[in-house]
Parts: sequence; C-alpha cells; structure tokens
Amino acid sequence: MNRPFSPTFLFTVIPRLLPYLKVTFWVMGGTIFFGLIVGFLLAKAKLQGNVFSKTLAHGYTWALRCTPSIVLLFIVFYGLPKALLEIFGININSWHRGIFVVVTFSLLFAATFSEIMRSAFLAVEKGQYESAVSIGLSPFQAFQRIVFPQAVVVALPNLGNSFIILMKEGALAFTVGLVDVMGQGTLIISRNYGAYALETYLALALIYWLLTIALEKSFFFLEKRLSQGRKAWA
Amino acid sequence: MGLNLEFMKHTFMLALFGVPVTLKITMVALAIALPMGFFLALTKIYNRKISGAFSTLYVSFVRGTPMVLQVLIIYSLLPSVLNQILKSAGSSVNIFDLDPIMYAYVVFSLNTAAILAEVFRSALQTVNTGQLEAAHSAGLSTFHAFKRILVPQALVVAMPNICNATINLIKGSSLAFLMTVKDITAIAKIEAAYGYNYIEAYLDIFLIYLILCASIQLLFGWLEKKLGVYR
Repeated sequence: MNRPFSPTFLFTVIPRLLPYLKVTFWVMGGTIFFGLIVGFLLAKAKLQGNVFSKTLAHGYTWALRCTPSIVLLFIVFYGLPKALLEIFGININSWHRGIFVVVTFSLLFAATFSEIMRSAFLAVEKGQYESAVSIGLSPFQAFQRIVFPQAVVVALPNLGNSFIILMKEGALAFTVGLVDVMGQGTLIISRNYGAYALETYLALALIYWLLTIALEKSFFFLEKRLSQGRKAWA
Repeated sequence: MGLNLEFMKHTFMLALFGVPVTLKITMVALAIALPMGFFLALTKIYNRKISGAFSTLYVSFVRGTPMVLQVLIIYSLLPSVLNQILKSAGSSVNIFDLDPIMYAYVVFSLNTAAILAEVFRSALQTVNTGQLEAAHSAGLSTFHAFKRILVPQALVVAMPNICNATINLIKGSSLAFLMTVKDITAIAKIEAAYGYNYIEAYLDIFLIYLILCASIQLLFGWLEKKLGVYR
C-alpha cells in the first residue's frame, strides 16, 4: 500500500453511492413481486398438483437452489436474448439490464419463496379450512380470509430472511453492468484508476450492513404486530 | 443456430478440471470454519463480555454484507497488508506471486465460520442444560461433557443446517473467479470468451453445480443417518 488508508474518503464516497440505492430497491421490489407470483404457483403445484406438476415443481426448486446466482445471472443475461431471438424472433438486446437481473432473481427466489409458502400453508391446521368451508364460505373465501392471514404470520420470519439474502445477492448485478449501488461503487473505483478500492468497498459494506439491520428490525416489529391476535401454542 | 454441442462437450470436460479447485476451497474453508464457528458459538452461549460482543459484531457483519463485497474487500486488503508486513520484516518474498486460492481460503473460511457460529449456537441450545449438569455430577470435566455428551447430540440437530451451509459455500465459491482463481466458473468463462459461446459454457457450469450439490446432499443424508444413533 503506497498511501495510507483514508477514512475521510470512506465518508465522502457514501453520499455519492446512496442515490443508486434506488436501483437496488427497484430490483428487489421487482423480484419480490414476480418471485412471489411464481413462488405461489409453485407452492400450489407442490401442495395440490398432480404427480407430474408436483415432480416438476420439486425438481425446479431443487435445481434452482443448487445454482449459484452468478451462473444463473450469466445464463439469463447471455441466453435469454439469444433464445427469444431464435425461437420467437423477438429482439430484446436493447432491453435494460435491470430486466435481466429481475428475471434471474425472480427465477431464483421463486424456488425459495415456494418452499416458504408451502411450509407456511402446511403450518395452518387443515381443520381451519374445513370448518370455514363447513360454515358456508366458498373455498376461495376460506383461503383468503382464514388460511392466508394465518399463513402470512408463519411465513414472515422466513420471508424477511430471504428478502435480506435477496438484497445481498442483488449486489452481483454489477457483473452484468447494472449500475446499482454496487455498480456505482465499482464505477467510482475505476474512475479513480483502481485507487481507493478498499475504502469504497468498505463504504458499500457499511451501507449493506445498515440496510440488513434495518430490514431485520422492521420484520421483527411487523411479526410482533401481526401475531398479536394469535394464541401462543403450547 | 442452436447450441454448439461440440463446444459444450469440450468445455464440460475442461471445466471438470475446476471441480478439484472448488472442492479444495470448500474443504479448507470447512476445516477452518467448523472449529472457528464452534468457538464463536461458545463465546455467545457463555456470554463473555468482550469475546461475546466481538462474535455478535462479527456474525452480524458477515451476515449483513454481500459475499461479493467480502471477496472484494479481502482481495483488495490482504495482499497489500501482507506485503507491508513482509517488507517491514525484511523478507524478500514477493507476496504477489502467491496463489490467489489462498485468499479464497481466507474469505470463505471467515464467511462460513460466521454462518456456522449461528448454526452451532442454535444447535447447542436445543440440548437440555440438564445434560451438562448431569455429566458434571457424574464426574466428567466440561471438556469431556462437551465431547461425549453435548456435541454428539447437537451435531444431529445441526446436520441439515451444516449441509445448507456447505451447499451455500460451494455456490459461493463460484465468486472466487473474481480473485483470479481458476475454478469451474473461471475456466468456462475463459473458454467461452474465445468464440462468444457464453450460454453453452454457463449451461455447463450449471450442470456441474447440480451434480456437485446432488452428491453433497447424498453425502449429508448418509451422515445424518449415521449420526442419528445419538438422537
């Protein structure tokens, strides 16, 4: 190290990084939205599907849980445009990089979400649904009013955890050139010709660390709020 | 155009040479992280003031920051620091000749230790405290009580989580290519760059990781059955 570590740079770089958190949050939000939809369908297939869709859903979950995010990110980023162009003749090469990132993480986290939802639905007693139907609710109403609210509370801690993991994995998006908070960090480093790399990385680490703690705390709070009406089981 | 199957087969064989590298990183990281995680867990359970606070902070930092960042931080910090130390010690060893896999060992050991600390802590806490007291009253030392009574029981509980941590470690080791380690990902990436055959190369890596994970899961399933006798 030719120059001493510069703590002041660490703090001057943070304001330059923060505006790009927006992109990080957009990626997170998009992934959570699409991931929850796909995850719900997968969970439904696992719980109620026939043998074929059950095997497919379980196989999908297993395979995606074994895939490093970066590998899937590269497959989607390089493969999706090519596949769509060859099969449907649609050219999506000009699409924003963020879309590929969201697609990747939606595919990845749909597997995680589906397992969370499956265990949460299984945790709600079957008798709850049966008694709801027996007093005249339609199956959809029974699900929406009785099973779902209870399952959400069960799923919450796991969901919070997976959101945190998602936020951290999202940092990989800089490898395909998305300029989120991490991407901006790498840009700043290359603008300084590689100098202040350590300070920039530490600033990024600080940002992510604080975000993780904030997410953890808010989920803890939410969980407490939502489980107010619930009796503690023996 | 479709997929270039010839290239895929060729790269698959080449990328297989990266498997030992990935396994080496996994093994070394586990070998260091298992005892380290265990001691971190102990400091938290016994609630020692300084070491306990240190463990809490350490675990929180590792779990709160992306793995890529940890990789990049260590990779931009460690070589220069080591260089400085060696220089001031008057050694003529050039640190920049060091195999980058050493840095990978450091990163993934430090990371996995924090994950395992939490795993061990929760596992040890599932074992009834009466067990330790009974072992003490039967005349065992604390060390023996841990070795013979507590750890075997806790290990059964911890096994699924250790399996998860190992799989995450294997997946995470794909980031070692950022440190110029020639693992599976790096080899396939280099091959792909010649003819822009990225999809084929990445599908290869995908397959290799599936096979790796399946074997790890089988291994842990077997281990769990073996350890189940302590339940």
